[in-house]
Amino acid sequence: MIELLNVTKKFGSFTAVDNISLTVPKGEFFGFLGPNGAGKTTTIKMMAGLFTPTAGTIKLCGFDTATHPNEAKMRTSYVPDQPFLYDKLTGREFMYFMGGLYKMEKKVIRERVEMMIEHFEIGEWVDKRTEDYSQGMRQRTTIAAALIHEPDVIIIDEPMVGLDPRSAKIVRETLKQKSEEGVVVFMSTHSLPVAEELCDRIGIINKGRLVFVGTQSDLAMYKTRYDGKFESVFLELTK
Amino acid sequence: MSLLLHILRYKFLSFFKTTFDLRAVSLVRGIGSLIVFGGFGLVAYSASYELTLFVMEKTRIGLFLYHRFISMVLFVFFMAVNMGNIIVSYATLYRSAEVNFLFTKPVSFTQIFLLKFLDNFLYSSTTLFLVAFMVLFGYGTYFGYPWYSFLGILIFVLVPFMFLSASVAVLVLMSVMKVASRWGFRKVLVLIGSVYASLVFLFFRFTNPIRLVNQVSQYYPEVDQYFSQFDPGFLSYLPNNWVADFLFFFAKGQWEMALPFAGTLLAVTIGMFGLVLFVAHRFYYKSWLVTFEVQASSNSVEAGRKMKLFDFRKRSLLPPQVEAVLKKDYFQFFREPSQWIHLLLMLVLVIIFVLSIRNLNLGLRVTDVQVLTYLVLYAFGVFLSCSLALRFVFPSISLEGKSFWSQLSAPFDVRKLFLLKFAVSLLLVLTLAILVAVASNLPFVRLTERRPLLMYFGLYSAFWVSLTLVALNLGLGGYFSNFQEKNPIRLASSQGATLTFLVSLIYLVTLVVVVSAPLLKYFESLFFFLPFDFRMIVVPGTIFGMISSAIVGFSVMIGLRSLQRDF
Repeated sequence: MIELLNVTKKFGSFTAVDNISLTVPKGEFFGFLGPNGAGKTTTIKMMAGLFTPTAGTIKLCGFDTATHPNEAKMRTSYVPDQPFLYDKLTGREFMYFMGGLYKMEKKVIRERVEMMIEHFEIGEWVDKRTEDYSQGMRQRTTIAAALIHEPDVIIIDEPMVGLDPRSAKIVRETLKQKSEEGVVVFMSTHSLPVAEELCDRIGIINKGRLVFVGTQSDLAMYKTRYDGKFESVFLELTK
Repeated sequence: MSLLLHILRYKFLSFFKTTFDLRAVSLVRGIGSLIVFGGFGLVAYSASYELTLFVMEKTRIGLFLYHRFISMVLFVFFMAVNMGNIIVSYATLYRSAEVNFLFTKPVSFTQIFLLKFLDNFLYSSTTLFLVAFMVLFGYGTYFGYPWYSFLGILIFVLVPFMFLSASVAVLVLMSVMKVASRWGFRKVLVLIGSVYASLVFLFFRFTNPIRLVNQVSQYYPEVDQYFSQFDPGFLSYLPNNWVADFLFFFAKGQWEMALPFAGTLLAVTIGMFGLVLFVAHRFYYKSWLVTFEVQASSNSVEAGRKMKLFDFRKRSLLPPQVEAVLKKDYFQFFREPSQWIHLLLMLVLVIIFVLSIRNLNLGLRVTDVQVLTYLVLYAFGVFLSCSLALRFVFPSISLEGKSFWSQLSAPFDVRKLFLLKFAVSLLLVLTLAILVAVASNLPFVRLTERRPLLMYFGLYSAFWVSLTLVALNLGLGGYFSNFQEKNPIRLASSQGATLTFLVSLIYLVTLVVVVSAPLLKYFESLFFFLPFDFRMIVVPGTIFGMISSAIVGFSVMIGLRSLQRDF
């Protein structure tokens, strides 16, 4: 479960995230949308422990990220918007590295790595150093590495960028399956059709504030006020 | 030409905007840097002046010998600039995103090369310029040079000297790229490294300073003569000798003898740069394409599948997080040629130094001379640790790069990461420091009829110096971290790194000052059969430990805090 309570992030005099409160229950697929610079990545980075909130509380699986960061992170997985990997490691080595950081036993890591290689269809190049990977290869490796420790919460920033149609399908299906298994998926995306297709609930952030949070049926109601398109709702809310 | 100026204009604009940023934090940093740089310049100036004064008036070795030593220092300086440029220019000329961008634009390959060459030269040589100029200023002040001559020497001697070194470096690099496509990059780099190490070794073998001193001493008191007959023939072809000879005749006031050396240097530099541009015009683009071939051939799936030493798949006795981070650092280091080759080169130089000094025959029982010799060797040892720490410890946090998210978002305490990096770095720096300390103290143990006091001091010092320099470089490396920069050498020559290096040098000078008084007393007691009060070492030893502890504490605090910043 994810809980954000009055979370604010300021960079000097600029408020990137302004007093956001939100709860995402177990098994929910939450889509986080907003225009460029709205505060999506900042919010996600605070949840992942890369930014410290200026004010407010973030709890992941009941653990406050400020007071119990390691307990919270142990149950969480983060996939950044840019899939940066250690370029001298192979994809396989990167997955072992991530498994080690999550204190997994070698035998378990080995089984999970093989499973991920097969699932994400990366066996052909997983033993090459990542410095030669394309954007899509990096993205698939990052997502595979993020799922190694079987997290309860997945925080994923723009997962579909750079993926070919087949890879995008694999990622979509994987995330949906995880959500059905009871994992919380918090996904930021610019793709409105992806959000509509996958998410149980959608939140829209604009200028650091949450301007809409609702389920697919809430969204459907909103859509009727406009021309029936999600795009029109989004553009109106983020004016 | 106008296109080149257009690009340069925007590069300068970008440089000025980032350098002369008017935000409070940047201003404070800037003023801090200015104070440290200024202070360091002053230290370099007065050290050079005092050393010249001491050598010319106290030891009275004469102008010729002094300038032969200057020639040797200039040789080391030339090689340092040269090797630095080879390694940095590989990243600048072949692995830079800017080059990739410019190749897609209507800019000629030669213009791109010229831009990156100048970029590389200015970036990696600014600090060395400052040091070299202040040393020259101190030296020239002693000989009463008029003020305008410094400017002339700077423009017509010092800059061409460094430019020549950089040009040779780039020429060597392009040749490496040509051969690497056939032989493989790793083999060629090892070969080049071995050739360079051999060159340094042979230079000092043929210009043996002790033999030179003995030869010149035979003509005592005519030590101011120009004993060119003692120079091995090949010396007259080396640029360091041209500079040293220019300074020698200039110091004697013989302009007409000095100018041909500056003229030769200038002509050779211009010729070499012309040759570099010609080769670049013909070959830069082709050699740039070679990098892709080399990289593709060195990164195969088959090689990746093979079980390696410290393979991630192997079992380990270490806790999983420690194992993961150590193995990651190991592969990141040993799969990056600019890292392991530089380390190998430094190790070779240390070994040459250790082998050269362990059998040094000190002979003379003259207090001043032995104290000076000891302090020079001691300072060199600390300087070596400073360089090693700057080159390998300072960049280590920044080198986590943008991939650092993986550790920061994992249940991994960053203090553990700091501690691990600290332990590994300390192991490297301390091992070499002990090696140098033992080798440089052995001749003194023999001189003092096997009294072990100096050896104990050397080991005590090696421990504290290593601890302090590792903490300082890791702490400030974290504070000045730049996760955008992938090139370790550029990181080690950044503004933050220069500042750290200057702080390290101030620490070095402080240590030399702290130990000089008891050292003088110790040698006096030995040579004049006076009693030595061992309390003389307790106070400086305590001051030494306290200064070091303070730096360690401060640096660790800064380093740990920096890791908790927003990423």
